[in-house]
Amino acid sequence: MNQETPQKKRPLSQNGRIFYLVPLAAALIPFFANDYLQFIVNMIMVYVLVTVGFNLVIGNLGQLAFANTAFFGIGAYMTAILMTYAGFTYELALVGAAISGGLAGLLASVTALRGIRLYYLAIITLAFGELMRWVYIHAEPVTMGTDGLPLPDVTVFGMSMHSETAKFYVFLLITVLVVKGTSNLLKSRVGRAILAIRDNELTTASLGISTANYIILTFVWSGSVVGIAGAMFAASTERVFPESFGLTEVIVHFAMVMVGGAGSLIGSVIGGVVLTALPEYFRQFPGMEELFFGAIIIAVLLFLPKGLVSLLAKVSPLFRERYFRE
Amino acid sequence: MDTHKPILKVDGIRVSYGKKEILQGVDFEVAPGETLCLLGANGSGKSTAMNAISGFVGCTHGKIELDGEEIQNLPAHKTFRLGMVQVSQARDLFPQLTVEDNLKLGAQVRSKSTMLEELERVYDYFPRLRERRLQRVMTLSGGEQQMVAIGRAVMARPRVLLLDEPSGGLSPQFVNEIGTIISALKEDGATMMMIEQNLGLAFKVADRFIILRDGVVVDGGTVADYADDHEQVVKSIYL
Repeated sequence: MNQETPQKKRPLSQNGRIFYLVPLAAALIPFFANDYLQFIVNMIMVYVLVTVGFNLVIGNLGQLAFANTAFFGIGAYMTAILMTYAGFTYELALVGAAISGGLAGLLASVTALRGIRLYYLAIITLAFGELMRWVYIHAEPVTMGTDGLPLPDVTVFGMSMHSETAKFYVFLLITVLVVKGTSNLLKSRVGRAILAIRDNELTTASLGISTANYIILTFVWSGSVVGIAGAMFAASTERVFPESFGLTEVIVHFAMVMVGGAGSLIGSVIGGVVLTALPEYFRQFPGMEELFFGAIIIAVLLFLPKGLVSLLAKVSPLFRERYFRE
Repeated sequence: MDTHKPILKVDGIRVSYGKKEILQGVDFEVAPGETLCLLGANGSGKSTAMNAISGFVGCTHGKIELDGEEIQNLPAHKTFRLGMVQVSQARDLFPQLTVEDNLKLGAQVRSKSTMLEELERVYDYFPRLRERRLQRVMTLSGGEQQMVAIGRAVMARPRVLLLDEPSGGLSPQFVNEIGTIISALKEDGATMMMIEQNLGLAFKVADRFIILRDGVVVDGGTVADYADDHEQVVKSIYL
């Protein structure tokens, strides 16, 4: 009789399911954190999603496209516009932000599909972000220009999101769902094709794989994720301003990807957490914040060019993601 | 079924790079289950002929038929989908990805269940790859990388498998292993066309050969007829 050896159950510490402990532990934060700290944690979740979305295009697909702030701004403004002028609930506006971010991603993918690469793609997508900022400023009757567009009271399923705690739990749920969804995407055959395009686009095409479809999908997914982050940002700040989506933001987003680890989903989370939390910590050293912030980015990229996640990868195989360039 | 009908028919193809005509009217056929070897000196047009068949370069004249269907000048991804699968000399692997991911990419356009079936089949041909399935390709030796390249092509269940110098740059031990694997594929009914400089390997696995010189077919025959006369073949190639 063919008896199969029963598989040993791996302890949780060696199992990917250990990552579920992170949001479970995070769920306890409101029990000991004050409003300010909770606000920071909420912003961390916003930037985790921004980095996850951006890293998909930069690290996983390998395209030097910087349309990220455009997606972010479109998501935030779409949420505010839908809630203010169309009377949408926050839940529906969030869906609208994801769709509009995805459509912006589709638009950005057109440049890549036309064979525009590297610095040319970088400058075109940067221009896209700046063009959108021009629109936010000059479409004054709708966006209220530089005064910023305030959001009406945000409620989720009838519950007020006025308190930081309420926002925290809604954001936590959204973040977990989006990160898990992106993780599943990267582990699927779609993720494999995306990585193959990064490694060698021509060979991927010669294997009968429609590279154009996967490029579009990655940009759309990235745009949707960052659009959702924009909706969370809008709910968190309760008013959206054009200057929140400028060139400086692009640099910060890029630093988050590189410091966390380009091509690594865990790295995206780490990059988003570290580079959102550190500037807040450095506020206690007035006048020195930028110096500390810049020095840390330089140090990490000099000594850990594959990001902070590469440090963790040395400690545990759990952090050695299949698709992460080690 | 007409078993004599060729699965691949190359009829008077001409290929130019700029003003230089590399192939000047090449004709040959490959029968189902047959292994044809293209021999010739460097620059004779062997790789160009293979690249024209798989759609990597276009033809200026002539016809290429796969099972009666004209495929000349189709792009490489379309000829791949029709079952014309090439393992190039450069191997064209994805070095950052694992062995298994590289293999699965060969059957990316097929259903998941078919992909897994093919994967098991490839692992049966290449047990060494099963052991290394989670290893990144860039960490493998040249011979193992060649196995991945052939395995990835086999994953696509090709109607015709095109092998461009499978022994290129490999140690004698790996040349033997690759030869054994190609023989096993042949026994299982694969139709193959290969370019090979190593006459020992070529004559071990091929049924028939043709010799190209300056972009035309100058000689050819069955391997059985020349099995003990490699010298004559070498003369035809170089003199």
